Amino acid sequence: MLKIYDFFAHAKSESLWMAHFCTGCCSLEMAAAMGPRYDWERYGYLPTPTPRQADLLIITGLVSKKMLPALLRTYAQMPEPKYVLALGACSFDGGPYNDSLSVIKNPTEILPADIFVAGCPPRPEAIIAGLEEIKKKMKAGIPSAASQGGLWKEMEF
Amino acid sequence: MRKIKQLLENFNTLYIEEYKTTWVKTKLSTADDLLMVAKALKEHGLRTIATVSPTDFLEENVIEMNYFFEDLMTNRNCWLKCDVPRELDECEIESLTPLFKGANWHEREAYSMFGVRFLNHPDLRPIIVSQDFYDKTPFRKDFDWDAHDKNTVKNMQKIVDSFKAEEAEADKGIDAESSETVLNWGPTHPASGPIRLKVHCDGEDVIGIDPDIGFVWRALEHLVTKKDFVGAIVAVERLCFMDNVNSMTAYAQAVEEIANVEITEFAKWMRVLLGEVSRISSHAMGMGGFYNALGLHTVAMWNMDVREFFLDFLESYSGARIATAAVEPGGVRYGLQQNMLDELQLALDKFDATKDSVKDIFINNPTMKMRASKQGFISNLDVQDYSLCGVVARASGVKIDVRIDEPYAAYAEIKMDYVTQKDGSAKDRLINLFEELEQSVDIIKQAKRHIEEKIASGEFDPTKDQMVKVPKKLPRGEAISRVEWSRGEVLMHLVTEEKGTSPYRLKMKAPSFNHTMMLDKLLAGQTLSDIPLVFGSLYICQGDLDR
Amino acid sequence: MEMIFNVVVFPGILYVLLWTVGLFWFFRKFMAALHKRVGPSFNGPAGSYQTLFDLSKLLTKESITPDGVNPYLFSLMPILAAIIAILPTAVIPWTANTTVVVSEYSLLGLVVLVGIEPFLLFLTGFGSNNKYSFLGGIRVLTQMISMETSFFLAALSPALLFGTLSLTSIVEQSSWLTFLILLPGFLLYFVALLGLLDQPPFNIPDAEQEIVYGFYTEYSGTNYFLLKLAEFAEFMAVFAGAATLFLGGYRGVFFDGFSFLFAKMIIIAMFMMTIRASTPRITMKQMLNFSWSYLVPLSLLNVAWIMFAKIFLLGAIS
Repeated sequence: MLKIYDFFAHAKSESLWMAHFCTGCCSLEMAAAMGPRYDWERYGYLPTPTPRQADLLIITGLVSKKMLPALLRTYAQMPEPKYVLALGACSFDGGPYNDSLSVIKNPTEILPADIFVAGCPPRPEAIIAGLEEIKKKMKAGIPSAASQGGLWKEMEF
Repeated sequence: MRKIKQLLENFNTLYIEEYKTTWVKTKLSTADDLLMVAKALKEHGLRTIATVSPTDFLEENVIEMNYFFEDLMTNRNCWLKCDVPRELDECEIESLTPLFKGANWHEREAYSMFGVRFLNHPDLRPIIVSQDFYDKTPFRKDFDWDAHDKNTVKNMQKIVDSFKAEEAEADKGIDAESSETVLNWGPTHPASGPIRLKVHCDGEDVIGIDPDIGFVWRALEHLVTKKDFVGAIVAVERLCFMDNVNSMTAYAQAVEEIANVEITEFAKWMRVLLGEVSRISSHAMGMGGFYNALGLHTVAMWNMDVREFFLDFLESYSGARIATAAVEPGGVRYGLQQNMLDELQLALDKFDATKDSVKDIFINNPTMKMRASKQGFISNLDVQDYSLCGVVARASGVKIDVRIDEPYAAYAEIKMDYVTQKDGSAKDRLINLFEELEQSVDIIKQAKRHIEEKIASGEFDPTKDQMVKVPKKLPRGEAISRVEWSRGEVLMHLVTEEKGTSPYRLKMKAPSFNHTMMLDKLLAGQTLSDIPLVFGSLYICQGDLDR
Repeated sequence: MEMIFNVVVFPGILYVLLWTVGLFWFFRKFMAALHKRVGPSFNGPAGSYQTLFDLSKLLTKESITPDGVNPYLFSLMPILAAIIAILPTAVIPWTANTTVVVSEYSLLGLVVLVGIEPFLLFLTGFGSNNKYSFLGGIRVLTQMISMETSFFLAALSPALLFGTLSLTSIVEQSSWLTFLILLPGFLLYFVALLGLLDQPPFNIPDAEQEIVYGFYTEYSGTNYFLLKLAEFAEFMAVFAGAATLFLGGYRGVFFDGFSFLFAKMIIIAMFMMTIRASTPRITMKQMLNFSWSYLVPLSLLNVAWIMFAKIFLLGAIS
C-alpha cells in the first residue's frame, strides 16, 4: 500500500505542468527554456492551455495592479496540489520597476512563491534549475507556500 | 519643406524652424488654431499623426502639447506645439481624432495620464491606466505617487469591483434569447499574452472587439524621470525585451543631441551591428508567434534554435542574453573582441544553413497561404490614417523605413532597400517579416566586414573607441529621435531641464499601440478563428503596447 | 478464462492503458524530434516513464467540478466517453485468432462506435458551463457531421470490394492488388481520420489559440485523465481500423502477427504527427468547404471506382 502511495507521490513530483500564463517579460526566457537548446520537456515539464490541468503557476516577472486579480483567479482555478514559481527580480521586490507604482512591488507577499529564480530575466538554465527545486520540495512532502498563508486568502478577486 | 513653412506662416506662430533633415518645428501662439492648422496640414499631405505627447511644465503653469505629423509618402514631417492651461477644468483642447483616426488612442492616453480633455473625441475613456488611476493625472509633475501608494488595498479592490461590474454589465446588456455573448480573450489565454480583448461575438462570428490594455503598464515614461541619464536605459530597454538594443539607441541619440556630443564611428557601426542582431532575435520570435497563432509550433522552435546563436553573440558582448544594456548615451558600453565576431559568424552560418528549409516548408506553405492570404487586409490609406509602421506598413506597400528615410548611426553607409509587399494581408506581413530577416543578416554581414576591415587598418580601436563622455548634467532642451525598431518606428521625445540630472519627460511612441488600434476594424465581421491569426500577424508586443 | 484475459489484459483495459502511455510518449518524442528538441529524456530509458507519471499524476489530482454545472452530466460524460472509445478494440482482429467479439458485422460496430464519440465530447463541452467549452462542443459537432460522411463512405469501400462486413474476412481476403484498388479509399479515410480525431489541420475543436482548449477547458484530474484515455483509445480504434481495412491488418510479409498490425498503426501515427508539425490549422468555414465540396464528392467517386474495380478487375481475375 505504501509503495503505491509512494509511486503516485513520485509521479506527482516528476510531472509538472504549468499554466500558460504570462505576466511580464520573463516569459520570453520561459519560451527559450521550452526551445530546442534548453528544452525543459526533457525533465517532463509541459505547458497546458488551461489552468484546470496545471500543477504549477509561474509568475513571469512583474505583476501589475491590473494583472493581479487575473493572476489570483488563475491560481484559484488550478486543482490541488499546486505550486508557485516566481521568476525574476520583479516578483521579489519589483526589480527595475521598484519605483513604479503601477507595479505590485511584492506580488509574492500576496501569493507566496515556493521558489524564486533570480535574474532579470533569469537564464533558461536557471528557470529549469528552479523547477527542479520545486520537484525536490514536492518529493520531500513540503506543502506549497501559498497554501500556508499569504494575503491572497483575505483578498477578494 | 518650404511649402509646409509657407503654409504655417498663415497662422499665428511663435516660431517656425527647420529641425534635423525632415522636420519643421513650430509652436502655435494659441491652441484655438490647432484644428485649422491640422486640417491644412492634412490637405497638404501630412495625413499621419505619429503621437500626441503632452509635457507638464509646472513653473510656467502650462501643459505643452506636442503633435508629430508625418507624411509617409514624401517623408516630410511637422512637429507642432501649443500650450493648454494646467488647471484641470480648463485643460481642454480640440480633438484631432475626427481628422486623424490614428490619434484616437494617443489622445485617450494623454487624457488618462495628464487629464487633458479632448473636445469632440468620439470615445474618451481612460486607457492603459489601471482603474485606481481613473480621474487622476498620474504623469503630472505634482501627482503624489506616494500618497496614492498608501491605499494599495483599496485600489486593488477598485480594480476587482470594476471588473465584476463590467462582467455583470456585459451579461445584463445582452438579450438572453440571442446567442450573442462577450468573450474575454485573455489575459489567461494561450495566445493572448497580457492583453484582454473583449470579443463581442455571436457564435463564431465576431461583432466587435474592444481591447483592454495596460496589463503590463509599468509607467516607464514616469520611471525614467526618477533615474539619471545612464540609469534610464534600464527602463528604456524594457520597452520590449524582444528588441531592446534599438530602443536604447533611440534614447541615447536623443540624449546625445541635447548634450551636443558626437559619438565615434566605431560606436555607430556597433549600434548597427547590435541593433540588427537584436532585430533578428525579435523577428525570429515574431515569425514563431505568427505560426503559434495557427497552432503550429515548429517554426517557433526552429527559429528559436537559430535565435539562440544570435543571443550567444549578445551574451559574449554584454554578458546578458536579452537584457543587454549594451547601448548608452555616448556610444556603446563595451569594446569588441575577435571571439565575439567569431560567435556572430557562427550565428550567421546557422541562419544560412536553415533559411532554405524554413522557406520551403513554412513560407511557401499552401495551408498557411489559404488561411492568411484573405485575412487582415490593411490598405495603403489605412497605414497612413492609423500611423502604422514597420513590417505592417511595408507589407501594405508603403515605403517607409527610418533607416533609409532619416539615417541614423551608420545606416547611411549601408546598402539596403525597402522590403515591401503589395497586398497587405496577413500572409504578406509574414513574408515581409521573413524577407526582413534576410535583409538584417545582409546588413550584419556588411557591418561586420566594415568593422573588421577598419580594425585591420587601424582606424578603429575596438578597445577604446566605444565611448565618448557625456556630461552628467544636461542643459535645458528637447529632442526627438527616431529609429527603425523591429516592430516599426520608435519616436522618443526627450525634454530636459537646465542642469537636469534625469529626463524631465520622455515620451516613447511605440508601434504596437497603433497596431492594436486596428484590431477592431480588421476583425469585425470575421470569425473567432481569425482573431489569433490577425493578432499574430500584427506582430504586437504587450511591452511596448503598455509601456 | 481466455475471455477474462481478453477483457483485462489483451486487447482489453491493460493494453489500452499501455497504448495510451506509450503513444503519448511516442507523440511527444516524435514531435520533439521534428522540433529539433529531445523530448522527455530523464525519467526512465529515453524518458519513457514520463507519460506514465503524467497520467498517474492526473489520477491523484483534485478533480474540480465548477460552479453552476450539472455535476451528473459533467462527471458522467468522461466515463462514458472512455468506455465507448475502448469498446471498438473488441471487434478488431488483432491476430488471426484474437478477436474478442467475433461477428459478421464487426465493421459496422467499429464505425458506429467511433462515430458516436464526438457526440459525447460535445456533451462534455455542453455540460461545462463555460463559453469556450461550449464553442468547442459546437465545433466538435459540426466537424463530426461533415467529416463522418466521408469517413463512413471510405470505410465502406473494403466492405463493398470484399462483399463482407466482417473485419476478419476483410483481412483474410486482402492482397497487394486490393491494396492498390483501395489506395484512394485509404487516402480519403486518412484525411477523414484527421478530422475525426481533431488533428491538424483539423484541430478546430480544441484549438488552443482560439478557444483555449475547447471542451477540455474545465476538466481536471481524473476526469481529464478519462478524456485523454478516450482520445488515445480512439486513436487506437481508428488506426487499427485503417490498418485492418486497407493495409491488410495483422498480415505480414513472411509471417502474420500482431507486430505487423502494430507497425502499420505506428506508421499511420507518424504520418499524422508529421502533418501536425508542418501544417497550420484551418478555419471552420474552410473545413466545411473542404469537406463538402471535395472530400464527400471524392468519397462518392471512390465508391464508384470500387464498384468498377470489383466488376472489371477482380471479376476478370476470378
